[in-house]
Amino acid sequence: MIFWAIPKSAAAMMRGEIDASGQERSERQYYHQYAGQDAGRRYDPGMTPEDYGDAADFFSDLFGRRNHSGGGGARQEFHARGHDLRYHLDVDFMDAVRGAKRSVTMPDSKDIAISIPPCVSDGQTLRLRGKGAPGFGKGPPGDALVTIGIRPHPIFTRDEDDIEMELPITLDEAVLGSKVDVPTISGAVSMSIPKGASSGRRLRLKGKGVARTTGKAGDQYVRLKIVLPDKIDSTLEDLAKRWRDHSDFDPREDLRRKT
Amino acid sequence: MRMDEDRVVAQVHRLSLRELRLWVREGWVQPAQGTDGPVFDELDVARIRLLCDLKKDMDLPSKALPVVLSLIDRLHETRRNLRCLVDAIDMQPEEVRRTVVASFRSRRGVEPTPEDER
Repeated sequence: MIFWAIPKSAAAMMRGEIDASGQERSERQYYHQYAGQDAGRRYDPGMTPEDYGDAADFFSDLFGRRNHSGGGGARQEFHARGHDLRYHLDVDFMDAVRGAKRSVTMPDSKDIAISIPPCVSDGQTLRLRGKGAPGFGKGPPGDALVTIGIRPHPIFTRDEDDIEMELPITLDEAVLGSKVDVPTISGAVSMSIPKGASSGRRLRLKGKGVARTTGKAGDQYVRLKIVLPDKIDSTLEDLAKRWRDHSDFDPREDLRRKT
Repeated sequence: MRMDEDRVVAQVHRLSLRELRLWVREGWVQPAQGTDGPVFDELDVARIRLLCDLKKDMDLPSKALPVVLSLIDRLHETRRNLRCLVDAIDMQPEEVRRTVVASFRSRRGVEPTPEDER
């Protein structure tokens, strides 16, 4: 095949590894590296059996996306599937969790309705059969491929089916333990903060993550963060002083041993 | 990674917004359609860099570009198809594989190795 006869330097140039004057270039991701992967299929011209010469019948059976009908005739009718059209749709965090209906406007200003299934993940592609470009001849239309982007939520972050959030708590709640209301994606729930909880401690609300129709729901993880008031009043100050004077607790003991 | 036009232009120094729009209009680059305009991914950006190489570094005239692009696309399609075919052959029983390899070699005029003879 002809492309293996290309001189080495020209081949390297085509791949973009050297420039026209033969200078080697710095490291970067080249087109051929992407085009070699499955995603590269998007730019395939869709070769016709003629491209394969004598092996046309074999290859059209094998790869044939384009059907040439009436094999016997001198002139063949041309039928081909239409192109896939690609869309990108950004949705709100909650819409991605609960599912939603949206529409995207095509270049020809027609709208297509998209129903976003619940639990869709960031970067997931939905395929809408037959919503792409019309086919050639008797060929079927292509598909619309809609990639979903999820806008970040001010409170929640998501790791697959688990939800994570940071919960500010007061000093007394941390020391004494308490029951507080915690927002979840399905509304507020009451959660117990254990006595003596430190900042950074992660508590799990089982089953309060993203719930799939099939299989079990994820969990919500609540990271505690002890927050002191902007102005420290005298009561708190006295309390802290009294505690300091009789406590030998050293949270940095471990730190010192390890360094 | 998803980028809008501005980010692509910021990232690919050799590219102007006008050129980018022209290339999309010509169909040389085919970004996804977003609600606020085109959205480019890594593959698109790598292709834009390739176009910059061809047009700017190698001074390829615009007239010749579609021909070159289509050859490059065909090459990649063929390579990917070839790889699929090789994978399919790989999954065959040893005997079938040998027969295919021997037949392929003889067609290309490559002498069979002692291993093929066995």
